[in-house]
Amino acid sequence: MTDDLIRLEGLEVHFPLHANLEDVVLRRPRGAVRAVDGIDLAIQKGEILALVGESGSGKTTTGRVIVKLTRQTAGSIVFDGQDVSDLWGQRRLREYRKRVQIIFQDPYETLNPKQTINDFVAEPLQVNGIARSLAEREQRVLEALESVGLRPAREFAFRYPHELSGGQRQRVVIAGAMILEPELVVADEPVSMLDVSIRTELLRLMLDLREQRGLTYLFITHDLSLAWVLADRIAVMYLGKIVEIGPADQVIRSPHHPYTQALVSVSPTPEPPAPGLGAQRTILEGETPDAARIPSGCRFHPRCPLAFDRCRSEEPPLVDMGRGQSAACWLAEPGRPLPTMPTTAAPAPLPEVTPVATPEPSAKADPTDADPAAPPA
Amino acid sequence: MSFIGDGSGPLGRDMDGAAREAAEQDRLEAEVAGTRPGAASPVGDDAMTARISADAARDLIRAQRPWPLPKQADPKAPLLVVEDLRTHFKLESGWVKAVDGVSFRLDDGEALGLVGESGCGKTTTALSLVKLLPGNARIRKGSQVKLFDIDLVPKSEAAMRRYRWREISMVFQGAMNALNPVRRVSEQIAEPIEQRLGVERGASLRRAGELLELVGIPAKRGSTYPHELSGGMRQRAMIAMALACDPAIVIGDEPTTALDVMIQAQILELLERLRRELGLSLILITHDLSVTAETCDRVLVMYAGKVAEEGPVRRVYSAPRHPYTQKLMGAFPNIHADRRALEVIPGQPPDLKDPPPGCRFHPRCPAVMEVCKVEVPPEVRFPDGVRVACHLHPAGKDGGVQVDAADVADYRAPLVAPVPLGGIDRAGEGPAA
Repeated sequence: MTDDLIRLEGLEVHFPLHANLEDVVLRRPRGAVRAVDGIDLAIQKGEILALVGESGSGKTTTGRVIVKLTRQTAGSIVFDGQDVSDLWGQRRLREYRKRVQIIFQDPYETLNPKQTINDFVAEPLQVNGIARSLAEREQRVLEALESVGLRPAREFAFRYPHELSGGQRQRVVIAGAMILEPELVVADEPVSMLDVSIRTELLRLMLDLREQRGLTYLFITHDLSLAWVLADRIAVMYLGKIVEIGPADQVIRSPHHPYTQALVSVSPTPEPPAPGLGAQRTILEGETPDAARIPSGCRFHPRCPLAFDRCRSEEPPLVDMGRGQSAACWLAEPGRPLPTMPTTAAPAPLPEVTPVATPEPSAKADPTDADPAAPPA
Repeated sequence: MSFIGDGSGPLGRDMDGAAREAAEQDRLEAEVAGTRPGAASPVGDDAMTARISADAARDLIRAQRPWPLPKQADPKAPLLVVEDLRTHFKLESGWVKAVDGVSFRLDDGEALGLVGESGCGKTTTALSLVKLLPGNARIRKGSQVKLFDIDLVPKSEAAMRRYRWREISMVFQGAMNALNPVRRVSEQIAEPIEQRLGVERGASLRRAGELLELVGIPAKRGSTYPHELSGGMRQRAMIAMALACDPAIVIGDEPTTALDVMIQAQILELLERLRRELGLSLILITHDLSVTAETCDRVLVMYAGKVAEEGPVRRVYSAPRHPYTQKLMGAFPNIHADRRALEVIPGQPPDLKDPPPGCRFHPRCPAVMEVCKVEVPPEVRFPDGVRVACHLHPAGKDGGVQVDAADVADYRAPLVAPVPLGGIDRAGEGPAA
């Protein structure tokens, strides 16, 4: 499509593993962590695409590749019609990063405690040699602070991070990302450290900024329900691959991949399900496997309640399911829902724990009474 | 009563036949009460039924204890009653009233959710129960924390050690920080067993292994160090440690906050199972209402150190009365309902050094009235078991009755329409009528 702002093609990021120092010196990798393992992704101008996945799924790495903080091992990145895959070197990167910015998760770590808000927000201007005069720079900073709702801006500009609340800090971070007027913003879990009430305000702010400036977002999150509320499209990642992508509401309402379906089923909601509905949750066992040892065939098969023989040997491609939705599953068929997932099976009985032999320790025998020096409390 | 299973508890404690029969009888009674036509019967009847079955549940759970109740305990008293708890912190600039008049009751086998924004006093409330407070904190006179009717507030530090771990234990937020990075996991779990129960090294390590199995970690992983475990595994290890001394109450302080949604679901399911099968009582502290919706029987919404609303989860969440609860619920997306804009709660929680007069929520409240700015709203209990502190819901309206701390201690939420869940018939589990 022509109005794709950024397009990733066959993107791979493999981090080599070295068994010992000799391997490091000889650059002899013993396997690799396949953090991102071949993804194709296009984000249109003005769109919010949410990249959803558990920790270790490669969503953050994807974001870092886009802002060129991590080098891809294969594949290409096309930004606004230009191939930027091999764009390195300070000057060219600066040009690129004027247009592509990132917001990190933790506003407590992103801000330098010894730097005033003004210095933090003005730094991109300085680095890029924009607004060279002090007055002009200050003007730009104040405008940026105002635009993220820090008013009166003049009052905030000369404070230090410790004087601000978590929500205000994240606003400062956003102001810093916005001051160069980027076109694409990669937001890596921008609200997951924040309290609920502040969270909503910041999401609104992000939406407002999109309206005003025609921004495009890649919104990286582990929270499917947040992605659903905010994004136009959702891409679900599992172990370095996109397993499902499509319009937000469609992906949630009619998932074509069992992983998405399970995620939807366990997403907690404030309204308790009607009695019986709670039992329809599919809690997957175990955790996301190690990206250094990706399972054969479909990488989800060891945890998939619907897996069959083919899944163990052949990797399913991402197939178009119609209406802009694609899924990578052998069971997925356009226009047909997935087979019903078995709900969490009746769990095995809990193992026994031998009762402690001592009856009520008497006042004398009670070590906690006898020994007032403090063991753990 | 699934936690009793086939008569031998999962902790290997045997129930005697008589108690089991009594329990069965109570269960039947509760079922009959629930299936009676016109289940929306007068509260009085239902409350009566609830009392019978809940008391039976209490006796059963207490009969399973591996050791007797503490000496001064009243065996018929509620498990935990908190009356007018006020915990204040002294700063140079004045007193921070972090918890300012909180009352609630926790029964045997019950799960209570403590929710609210950060800084509203949830964690301070929990830490006050076990008196693990920083040096500048004072629990004010008149506050009571009664465990089996024993007031813990005046207890000395040495005396408290009889109760920590063995009666009330805690799963802390962020298992990475709560576990000691340079000690093996099983040693850390064994430590309270040795210290508190006087068990020998070998036996304590064996028990630690069994506890790990109980929470779903292979016992042999106990010899690893915390950094070798994933986040979910660490949290499981923390739960194993909290169970080390067979406590009656486990407090979980944001036990799933840093975890992925699937791992969160696993941990919550584990806690739920342990609660039902071991007859534990649970206090779950979280800012995430959705977590309590699925795990807890009752929820207590705190705002600025006070109770805003308290009651059976289904009641509170299906028809929240307090504007704060409404706003808070609106701030969470509900993936199983329609997509709608999330609500913003304007402003910030107040500075608790100098809280606003009247209702503490009034500066942020969308429905604020003149009276809210001057008068502190009293707590009013409604017939469906929900307690609210809001001028919009005064006593007398909809059958609301003003309650004080002592009433909270005596009050047992009515069993709205008992749904036998294969466990204890808990108050408020029924569907919202």
